[in-house]
Amino acid sequence: MTRPTAKEIKAMADVAGVPVSADVAARIANSIGPAFEGFAPIAGTLSFDLEPATFVVVQAAEAAK
Amino acid sequence: MSAEPALMSLTSVAQAIAQKRFSSREATQSCLDRIAQWQPRLNAFMALEAEAALAAADAADAELAKGNNRGALHGVPLAHKDMYYDVGKVVTCGSRIRRDFVATTTSTALQLLKDAGTIRLGSLQMAEFAYGPTGHNTHYGPVHNPWHIDHVTGGSSSGSGAAVAARLTFAALGSDTGGSIRMPAHFCGVTGLKTTVGLISRAGAMPLSQSLDTVGPLARTAQDCALLLGLMAGADPYDPTAVAGPLPDYTAAAQEPMKGLTIGIPTAFYVDDLDPEVARIIDETVAVLKHEGARVVQVELPDQRQLTAACQLVLAVEAAAFHKRWMIERPQDYGPQVLMRLQNGLAIPGVSYLEAMRWRGPALTAHLAAVAGVDAVIAPVAPVAAPTIVESDVGNSPDAEALIQRLTRFTRPINYLGLPSLAIPAGFTRSGLPIGLQLIGRSFDDAMLLRIGAAFQRATDFHDRVPKFA
Repeated sequence: MTRPTAKEIKAMADVAGVPVSADVAARIANSIGPAFEGFAPIAGTLSFDLEPATFVVVQAAEAAK
Repeated sequence: MSAEPALMSLTSVAQAIAQKRFSSREATQSCLDRIAQWQPRLNAFMALEAEAALAAADAADAELAKGNNRGALHGVPLAHKDMYYDVGKVVTCGSRIRRDFVATTTSTALQLLKDAGTIRLGSLQMAEFAYGPTGHNTHYGPVHNPWHIDHVTGGSSSGSGAAVAARLTFAALGSDTGGSIRMPAHFCGVTGLKTTVGLISRAGAMPLSQSLDTVGPLARTAQDCALLLGLMAGADPYDPTAVAGPLPDYTAAAQEPMKGLTIGIPTAFYVDDLDPEVARIIDETVAVLKHEGARVVQVELPDQRQLTAACQLVLAVEAAAFHKRWMIERPQDYGPQVLMRLQNGLAIPGVSYLEAMRWRGPALTAHLAAVAGVDAVIAPVAPVAAPTIVESDVGNSPDAEALIQRLTRFTRPINYLGLPSLAIPAGFTRSGLPIGLQLIGRSFDDAMLLRIGAAFQRATDFHDRVPKFA
């Protein structure tokens, strides 16, 4: 997973309807970069059938023990 | 019994009122006296309702005189983080945007405490929209740490931490999305329970992240937290994410001994880059745990940095989604740091967010497998004691952002996994600042943490120490 550039972030914010300046976009890119890099080993590796509710299933199975 | 009711624990004061050893008015007046003394120094209260509290206390005393005991906390005065909706009351959420917002409902957690007989002292300060880990607030000023007023309380439940530590309230609700109960518990020397996601209803509590938000108490003891949890836990028709099912007797669990339990200490991440005083207190705590009959073993946890990263992705997107309308219409009304954090969520693609959400199940499975042989894991809440208000002010200190990232790295993985974690006072630095440690449990096994925490507190006195008004 590649961290978005300031230019890409500016475009994403515009599409989201919350435009930001180039300076703010650069600040955001710097701020969220570590999260993208930290998650990079996981991104793109998850199996097809996995969905967010799996978390609740795992929780419930643990609670049932 | 203490001559000053406000110095008693929640459990003790509730019993004393029920047994008419002193009145709700005496307990309430005792808290109000301390608030009058400390509030100018701490800035812990957002709103104080002294006359209404005394009137409610008198009503509680009159009811009790007639033999009507409303519940386990009859006549006990409490104040909570100013994000729990209470019908007819202003609930600022620590913000300018909601400075005049009047709640039209009452949060389920708060209502359950009211049903148990509590009365309202007022509301407590917090980080703006619960989105900050230090206790700074652009609009209402920082909350000061009662152990050293030049230091932060931690956040976002900043007023809750300070008010419980200074004995201004017997307990307080906080909320924990990335560490917001555990951080102030650690920095202020009180006990704080981040509950399992789904254990307590979030209906009527200001949202920050629907996947990560948890309601929980800050109090003086694990026994007090157990009492509060027992009143609040369980299913709620107003919050479908609150899980139905049989609940243990938390107060009974908190009276069980530690002997025979196995506690894990991580081999990495949580023991890296620690201030030497935090490392010392971990060693001392392990010695107490062993003395109390627990077996302490090393555990190798999955990569916690990936959990932290996933937590950041989820939190940033969900917070931005909640706030999008105000980000468009009222960006000038946010504090600059909070607006910056909210803007971060705009830059995370939907696919990345959903990948972070989809990984949550496998990540929890891996964690539970790693801790299969232990009853709980012990770890620091943060690698340092409370920093000063000046050095943690992002607007004025060039190193503050890095410091804030460092502060939250031990709490966020737990939020991502939705696990319970109990922060307990475990010692003091040589300069007199409290240090807390967190006990991390298995999903919905909050009772185990209360058992270990209470047993630890029967063997130590860190939770009984009270900051002096110098």
